[in-house]
Amino acid sequence: MSAGDFYYGINATFRFIHDTWGREALVDYWTSMAHQYHAEVSDRFRAGGLDEVQRYWSDYFAKEPGGEVTVQQAHGQVEIQVTDCPAIRWLKNGGREIVPYYCEHCHHVSTVIAEEAGMAFKLEGGNGTCRQIFGLKEA
Amino acid sequence: MLGVQDFIGYYDWTFEYLRRNYGEQAVFDYWGKAIAFDSQRHARQLFLEKGFEGMYEYWAHTLEMEEAGYTFDRGEDYFHTDMFDCPSKGHLIQRDLEAYHDYCEHCMGWIKPLMEEAGFVVNHEHNHAGQCWWEMRRADDRSVKAPPVENPNDVRRLENWKQESHHLYLNSEPVDKS
Repeated sequence: MSAGDFYYGINATFRFIHDTWGREALVDYWTSMAHQYHAEVSDRFRAGGLDEVQRYWSDYFAKEPGGEVTVQQAHGQVEIQVTDCPAIRWLKNGGREIVPYYCEHCHHVSTVIAEEAGMAFKLEGGNGTCRQIFGLKEA
Repeated sequence: MLGVQDFIGYYDWTFEYLRRNYGEQAVFDYWGKAIAFDSQRHARQLFLEKGFEGMYEYWAHTLEMEEAGYTFDRGEDYFHTDMFDCPSKGHLIQRDLEAYHDYCEHCMGWIKPLMEEAGFVVNHEHNHAGQCWWEMRRADDRSVKAPPVENPNDVRRLENWKQESHHLYLNSEPVDKS
């Protein structure tokens, strides 16, 4: 099992960048990370298509501590249904004040990962329950 | 989603991102403020309220969760840890990741301010290869040199301890070993 207390570090990092340099700096941090650190993930998605997207996120959520997530592929897209987000669950159980923009990182990071792979990303919901969709870009 | 399974990889990347965009001092501020007093507030509470016992509680929980290779040694006047297989640095070495020029410094970066606040000093040495030792003592218990190698589990007994470059701290301050 992964060390869930690292979620505390993620939450604190977002707060530090936001409070020190502002919202634009935080968005730049997320998108820069996606362009650089996650470049390999985009390469995998580009090469393996939606099958690889489904495989990647299924494996990823399976290794996170707790949470309830299903990953399915249908109708030309991969839908990640987060019923109980492991990060939000861990932070709440730890009594942490979750930054109000915590869930936005999923939108910004995954949008860049998808675009770099020639795909599109959509996010609905938040605060522990959301729906994330990776799909092929329409021609 | 940013998960915890690859946290170490983008934690290291974050150090370099901050250095590149805001300078080296921003990295030290990040460790000394965000990590120490926000992320690690549970550790802070234990150090403040329980001293050496709190250190044992914190690191026994954390290192077990991170599946580290380590031993503890406790006494009336000290709390000592030998880390012979750091899971964090090991994660980076195994994946050939090194975004920031000195990942190991982050531990002193957040531990030192919390220890100072709780009334302790840190004696510490790491070799940048996933091995280090720590000895916390009360603030008035000053050290003029590293503790002797007496414990059979002391990481400094290992044949490969002397690999890579070493950073040594006594009384929470860096010591030039050259």
